[in-house]
Amino acid sequence: MNQSEAASREGLQFFGRVSASVSHEIKNVFAVINEAAGLIGDLTTMAERGMPIKPERLKRASDAIQGQIRRGDAIVKNMNAFAHSTDEDVREVNLGEILQLTLALTTRLADMKQIRLIAGHCEPVSLKANPFDLMRLLHSSIAAALDSLSAGDSLVVGVEPAGHGASFSLSAPGKDAPLANDEAFSALARSMGAAVSVDEASGTSLLRLRAAGTR
Amino acid sequence: MPEKVLLIDDEKEFLTNLSERMELRGMQVKTAATADSAVSALDGNDYDAIVLDLQMPDMNGIEMLKAIKVRHPDMQVILLTGHATVEAGIQAMKLGAMDFMEKPADIDSLTEKIKKAQAKKMVIVEKRAADKVSDILSHKGW
Repeated sequence: MNQSEAASREGLQFFGRVSASVSHEIKNVFAVINEAAGLIGDLTTMAERGMPIKPERLKRASDAIQGQIRRGDAIVKNMNAFAHSTDEDVREVNLGEILQLTLALTTRLADMKQIRLIAGHCEPVSLKANPFDLMRLLHSSIAAALDSLSAGDSLVVGVEPAGHGASFSLSAPGKDAPLANDEAFSALARSMGAAVSVDEASGTSLLRLRAAGTR
Repeated sequence: MPEKVLLIDDEKEFLTNLSERMELRGMQVKTAATADSAVSALDGNDYDAIVLDLQMPDMNGIEMLKAIKVRHPDMQVILLTGHATVEAGIQAMKLGAMDFMEKPADIDSLTEKIKKAQAKKMVIVEKRAADKVSDILSHKGW
C-alpha cells in the first residue's frame, strides 16, 4: 500500500469510526422512544379497561419522546454536516464551527471514558483547508488527549489565530499538557502539515495549522 | 411468583420507562445507571434475571457480565445492546449470558426471556436442593 492509499484508508477508517459512534447513539435514542411510546400504549390499554391513569405518567413519557427527538435531530444534523465535509477538497473553513462539530462527534468517546469535553476560548478564525482532514486531525488530537487522561478529568479545547494560520489548544485543568510526548500523534500531525508544541508552564498543547498552500 | 429483575443501563429515561412497563407486567424491578449502583443493587439481593447494557460509560458490559458470573454463577443475564454483532453475541454467550438482544427491544420478547430466566433459575435451585438432600441422605447412610 503506497502513502496515498494508506492516507485514503485512514480517512475511511475515521469516517467509519464516527459513523459507528453516531449510529450507536441513534440506537439509544430509538430505544428510549420505543419504551416511552410503549408505556403510553400500555397506559392507554389500561385506560380502555377502565383503570384510572395519572396524567403525569403520560406527560412524562411524552416529554421523554420529545426530548429524544430533539437529541436525535441534533445527532443527525451533526452527522449530515460531517458527511458534507467531504464535498470539497479545500475551502475556507470556519475553525470555530469545525471545533464545535468535532467536539459534538467526539462527546460519546469522552463520555465512555467519563471525561468532560469542554469548548474553551474560541476566537473567530478561518483558513483554507480540507474540512474532512481537519476534523480527522482534530478528532485524533482529542482522542489522543483523552487516552492520557482519567475518569473525572476535563479536556478543554479552544482555537485562535496564529500567524498565517491558526492554533487549537488542548488542556486538562490540574494535569500536564495532554499531547506531551505523544510521538504517534505528533507524527500524524506532521504528515498532515500541522505541528504540535507544548507549553509546560500552562499545561497546554498547541496544534498549529497553516492555511492550505502556505508555507 | 413475580419475576425479580435488575435493569442496568446508563440511559436513565430508558430505565424509567422500561422498568415502569415491566412493573405493569407484574415484575419486581430495580434499576442501576452506574457500575457502583449495579454492584450495590446486587449485594444481598436475589434476582431471576439481570438485563445489562453492553456499552456504558463507566463499565464494559462484558466485564460486568464476567464479574456477575464470578460472584453469582447461577444468575441469568440478558445483554442488551445498540449494536448486536455476531461476535459480541458469541462472546457473551461463551461467558455465560443467557441471551442477547438488540435495542430497541420488543417488550414481549424481553418478557418471554425473563420468564425463561426465572424458570431456568428455579430448575437450578431445585436441583441444588435435591443434590443437598441426596448428599445428606448418603452421608447418614439412609
